[in-house]
Amino acid sequence: MDWAGWAVFGLLATALLTGLMIAAQLSGLSRLDLPLILGTVITPDPDRARAAGSLIHLLVGQGFALGYAATFALLGQATWWLGGLLGVLHGAVALTVLVPMLVGVHPRMASERAGPASTSVLEPPGLLALNYGTQTPLVTFAAHLAYGMSLGLLLGAR
Amino acid sequence: MRPPIEDYGLLGDTRTAALVDSDGSVDWLCIPRFDGLPVFGRLVGGAAAGSFRLGPRHPAEVVARGYRPDTATLETTWRTDTGRLTLTEAMVAEVAGQLLPATMLVRRLSAPDGPVDAVITFDPRLGERRRAPRAEHRGEVLVCIWGTLAVALRTTPTATVQPGQPTAVTVTPHQPFTCVMSVAHREPLVYLDTDTAWDALQGDEARWQAWCRDIDDAIPYREAVVRSLLTLRLLTYSPSGAPVAAPTTSLPEVLGGVRNWDYRFAWPRDASIGIDAFLGVGKHDEARAFMAWLLSATRLDRPRIPVLLTLHGKHPRPERELAGWPGYADSPPVRSGNAAAGQHQLDGYGWVLDAAWRMGQAGYPLYAETWRTMAGFADRVADRWREPDAGIWEVRSDTVHHVHSKLMAWLALDRALSIAAHHRMSARRTRRWRAERAALREDIEQRGFDERRGTYTRSYGSSDTDAALLVLPQLEFHPADSARVRGTIDAVTSELGAGSPLLYRYPPGRDGLPGIEGAFLPCSFWLVQALARSGRVTEAGTLFRDLLALAGSLGLYAEEMDPATRHHLGNYPQALTHAALVQAAIALRAAGTGQAVDPRGAAPIVEGAP
Repeated sequence: MDWAGWAVFGLLATALLTGLMIAAQLSGLSRLDLPLILGTVITPDPDRARAAGSLIHLLVGQGFALGYAATFALLGQATWWLGGLLGVLHGAVALTVLVPMLVGVHPRMASERAGPASTSVLEPPGLLALNYGTQTPLVTFAAHLAYGMSLGLLLGAR
Repeated sequence: MRPPIEDYGLLGDTRTAALVDSDGSVDWLCIPRFDGLPVFGRLVGGAAAGSFRLGPRHPAEVVARGYRPDTATLETTWRTDTGRLTLTEAMVAEVAGQLLPATMLVRRLSAPDGPVDAVITFDPRLGERRRAPRAEHRGEVLVCIWGTLAVALRTTPTATVQPGQPTAVTVTPHQPFTCVMSVAHREPLVYLDTDTAWDALQGDEARWQAWCRDIDDAIPYREAVVRSLLTLRLLTYSPSGAPVAAPTTSLPEVLGGVRNWDYRFAWPRDASIGIDAFLGVGKHDEARAFMAWLLSATRLDRPRIPVLLTLHGKHPRPERELAGWPGYADSPPVRSGNAAAGQHQLDGYGWVLDAAWRMGQAGYPLYAETWRTMAGFADRVADRWREPDAGIWEVRSDTVHHVHSKLMAWLALDRALSIAAHHRMSARRTRRWRAERAALREDIEQRGFDERRGTYTRSYGSSDTDAALLVLPQLEFHPADSARVRGTIDAVTSELGAGSPLLYRYPPGRDGLPGIEGAFLPCSFWLVQALARSGRVTEAGTLFRDLLALAGSLGLYAEEMDPATRHHLGNYPQALTHAALVQAAIALRAAGTGQAVDPRGAAPIVEGAP
């Protein structure tokens, strides 16, 4: 297990993933804003939420990188294509399990069943986070693919 | 022939809505959301598009019909040969945290005088092709299935209902007939017994009554205002906070004409107007939800504000006509989608920035991100106000320089400068806004005002007037009692009058479409506001009472009205009309009106400026 590689490259890969998601937002492809979603668990102020959410996202990304590093260690190889495969799996889990799960635990996220008593103002992601734009699944897969490939490439290069 | 539009009652759960006529027939319901596929579409799709009737077996006179006070529960009572028969019905809005279906319609027939013969006809059909379901009975439940969508119907006492077939039932004083329809979309059905469903309906009633108690007691004509606010809330899609313009598509603006549009979308303009209406009566949570939706939904298009969006802030699919749908009262086409989405409408920026400013005035300072967004909108106005636009009325012919749009652009910059006083902003940027605001004023006053007639005009160089200009007294562009404001109000009243209290929105027939549409109801409520704000309070009060008398028997309004027959026209119920009604009442309150009697027979309401 390459602990130093995990520590450094996990951070880099997460930064890359976050950067791609932000680029997708800025170019009008998706409204999925993970730092905002994660940070509004703590505060309703979007600016403060993004700061807190970015930190949370880096930590979460680092946690996932541990899984990637462990998988590479178990398989005895770290390559860009293996990282890419894991990235696709990761993206699928994020879209079908992690993001939809937020509805049940996020204090400021409404659900598709929200009624008049709901004061949650954060829109629910819906199936495959499609509520945040029809390109959202593609963007998410692409960002996670890049995350996995960069981890495979960087950890394999050591 | 379907009943008049105003005969329909609205049942809703803030995720979707049904329309039910006085014969007990649900003729419109889209599932699982306002913009979903119709499962009952007879309103515009003919009998083959499905309906759900529950009522007397033989023709009977309606002797009472109305919403239970301060609730969304509708009651209709018929007099039959053997006694009265009452239908009580509602959709259940609050299902979060309970094992209840997200969409459920509860209907109960009761017969207090003696046994009454009734009938249930349940005929769900799905979508444009009006597909019949695969139906099966699972114990006491009828289940209708279209792939991942299922609708279940359960009755007590149990009736063996077959889709599309009338089933006779007898309602007795000791045994009401209750049915619950539940919908499952990409999830398992929840088999609900009718007692649980009825309890849920009653729980909802209590919550609506509590919701209504929060509404300002000092608002004049409170009963009508409360019904409008309830309607606005029922037309707000709770999961995202989107304000739906109306739950229907293609109810005609002229019978037999082509002016049939799909309103199952959310207009940022309507959200902004809704913010003002809800803030004005003390319903701040609803106003904040609209602002949250505005910010979220426009995110992908900033700094452009799209004309309209889907409930989740996406661009609508291209507009098209549903094949073989006859339309309401044989007025095709029935459209899905709305081509106005691609238009450039400058006025939207003014409405949105005004709403942001009002939020600040109400004690909700903008977050830094919100302010950056608003500042981006102001920049957009500064960049583009010199271009022609489609205007508030979304006319599909060529763009022109609409005076109302320019006024709203001026308002956008004015409000941005007011907000900027409390936020960090570069001096260069505010200098630019100030300069563009001044240039706009000069442009409007020179090119948009007809000195000879003493009125602002519909567009630069036009001799037409425009009822949208009735917002002038709200803008503080001129003092509300100035000659230019008075002249514009008088010109609109005299040139666009359709028989008091009705107004056309622009000279009839001047929109490039065949036929002449009805009078535009929100404009009449804007006239109430304009009169009240410019000191003509008595006229405003009289006009408002006259307008209240034109509501349907359930207190609901469509978008338009036929000036000759006084039947409602256009999509129904229309959020903009109800928001304008609330704003008019707020303006009357601010102007300090006296005692008023609700023209629909309500008890006198004590009025007075706070």
